[in-house]
Amino acid sequence: MAITKVTRHNTPAFEAYASAAQSGIADNTATIMAMDTELFDTDSMYDTSAYRFTPTVAGKYFVYGLIYMESSSGTRADRAVVHIYKNGSSYKQVVAMNVADNISSGPSGNVSAVIEFNGSSDYVELYGQLNVHTGTVELDGRTASGNFGAYRIIE
Amino acid sequence: MSNLSTKIKLYAKANGVNSIDFLSDVKLQDDGSGAYIKEWNLDIAEPTAEQLATYEDEANAEEALNTVYSDRRSEYPNENDCIHALLDGGDTLTDLQAKRQATKLKFPKP
Repeated sequence: MAITKVTRHNTPAFEAYASAAQSGIADNTATIMAMDTELFDTDSMYDTSAYRFTPTVAGKYFVYGLIYMESSSGTRADRAVVHIYKNGSSYKQVVAMNVADNISSGPSGNVSAVIEFNGSSDYVELYGQLNVHTGTVELDGRTASGNFGAYRIIE
Repeated sequence: MSNLSTKIKLYAKANGVNSIDFLSDVKLQDDGSGAYIKEWNLDIAEPTAEQLATYEDEANAEEALNTVYSDRRSEYPNENDCIHALLDGGDTLTDLQAKRQATKLKFPKP
């Protein structure tokens, strides 16, 4: 009996990061991460202008994102949230930090989810949200601090 | 210009709502063109832009006051120092009170 080795690639797949940190962000506001630089994008399905991934191959995908968040004024903040948005609404959210009073540290938030795509119109985006006591919010998705990616796992 | 969240808190407080969860009660969003109300789940009516604009000055004042409190907190004696000063009394307590007063003077309320 002949044995056939089947090689299966987890594509389409992409990973992107931000070329610059985002500053002056409004308090407590879910804000889209401008992940404008691709590390790879196997099938050109990530839009570096709209910051969204729209795979044209249906299936279940593993989607992940990482953001570093801090306040503009001495990193005083109390709740930090990272969202994966699907089709314009929060699909999965992770509370990376939630403290009763302000502390002097900026958290990194990591979110992931298995998401089904219809292969035509479904898309995902990455959003960050931080509650600061003073000043404005800074979101950092640069390569050392953040990422946004996805790859197909099941047809 | 003040944060949208601050103006919403003031509007809500003026209408009898003293606490807002910005993950469930009110969802704010910024798709790259500025913050806006994505979802409003409070029992009171969603404010118009004009209504929120009337809270601009009050919101700026509140945010300025929060900055003062934050600056003071960064220089106040820590909890351990306060406990020791209270237990020790005398000069230790007097010195701590002086340091606290100096911090207040350094960061006066607007």
